[in-house]
Amino acid sequence: MSADPNTLPRSIDEYLTQLRRALAGADAALIQDALSDAETHLRAEFAARSNESEASVLEAIAASYGLPADVAAAYLETDYKVQAALAPTPDRANSTRSSKRGLLREFFGVYGDIRSWTSLLLMPLSLVTGVLYFSIVLTGLSLSLGLAILIIGLPFFIAFVGLTRILALVEGRLVEAMTGERMPRRNRPSHRGRWTERLGAMFKDRRTWTTLAYQLLALPLGVASFTVAVTFSTLGIGLMGGGVVALLQALGLDVPGEALQWGTETLELGPVAAVLRSIGAIGLGILVLTALLNLARVTGRAHGRFAKLMLVAA
Amino acid sequence: MNDIARKFQRDLNAGLVALVLLGVLADVDDDLYGYDIAKRLQRARQGEPLFKEGTIYPVLRSLAASGWLSSRIVPSYSGPPRRYYRITDEGRAVLAEWRTVWRHTRDFVDQFTGPSAAPAATFEEPTP
Repeated sequence: MSADPNTLPRSIDEYLTQLRRALAGADAALIQDALSDAETHLRAEFAARSNESEASVLEAIAASYGLPADVAAAYLETDYKVQAALAPTPDRANSTRSSKRGLLREFFGVYGDIRSWTSLLLMPLSLVTGVLYFSIVLTGLSLSLGLAILIIGLPFFIAFVGLTRILALVEGRLVEAMTGERMPRRNRPSHRGRWTERLGAMFKDRRTWTTLAYQLLALPLGVASFTVAVTFSTLGIGLMGGGVVALLQALGLDVPGEALQWGTETLELGPVAAVLRSIGAIGLGILVLTALLNLARVTGRAHGRFAKLMLVAA
Repeated sequence: MNDIARKFQRDLNAGLVALVLLGVLADVDDDLYGYDIAKRLQRARQGEPLFKEGTIYPVLRSLAASGWLSSRIVPSYSGPPRRYYRITDEGRAVLAEWRTVWRHTRDFVDQFTGPSAAPAATFEEPTP
């Protein structure tokens, strides 16, 4: 089998292998998209020319669709432009600034970074998707094991793995929208052939198992990120809201609500101390929210990397 | 076409492929998938194709990413699911602008290279 992307491939599989090789080192999601596009096109071409020999069809394809090397070049060129045009606001976090002022700006600059807000949204959302993935995978696995002694056990397992791949694609779209980590836009071409061969390929595919692991882990990770997001956003908003109410009360306005309390007893403070304390509470609230946004940005990136590692074929 | 002519064609194609794809999709009421579009272009062309069919897919993807095309996936019995594209209103607006740019460009270039200007050089395959 010739692996040189500049020579004429002799089968669809060989074409795809050459294309994969020509794209080596590119983004895994881009490779997956390119392979899927090529396979769809080549199979359609083969279906349209079913009365011709495979060799002559492949020769025609090389002339019309292009050799793997040409196609790879087109993807690398176009995708680069797309990413440059659609890239989010320049990533200030990556600029190397070590001064205290720079660190402070970076800490509070998180408000201007759209990715930190979307990542914050992803944290509670992860619980919902986590519950969904976990229940589907657990049900699918137990039914597959339970049905294994019957004839329908294996076909059921194939269908179940197919479902987890669709879910992985959906998760990828969600992760890309929220964190900016590039994920596949199409499903990876699955192995063709008799169902026994497909089953074998499925068992041997590392990604089948990492996808299942990811979807099982999605629940505990979702619970953790939901808890952190809800706890700290409530704490921050509570401190800010309570601070505002206390400030208005300290200024003599008739605002409904309990006086701000430290512990269980209401402190009787002078008017200046009461104002300072409420401002302190507002400041603390802002600090907690800012810290949460920073944390969301970091976990968002980690979520994206983890999803890519587990869900996208290397 | 020799290598120099081919490289010139590639440089020209950078924006033209996107213009042609928007044009093809603006002409039909239906949505089309990549292979359909490729075959439409193949039927329309005379002589050697301006670009390989393999190069239209990444451009379709980037047009969709810009919001100028919408897409939907339809499962297929003969292979991986097909992605069907349809032009959006935003895409039509972009196409209208690009058409104007293209006409200006073409008219300007024609003044110097068109039939009324000096005879155009003909490309010939170099004899080995």
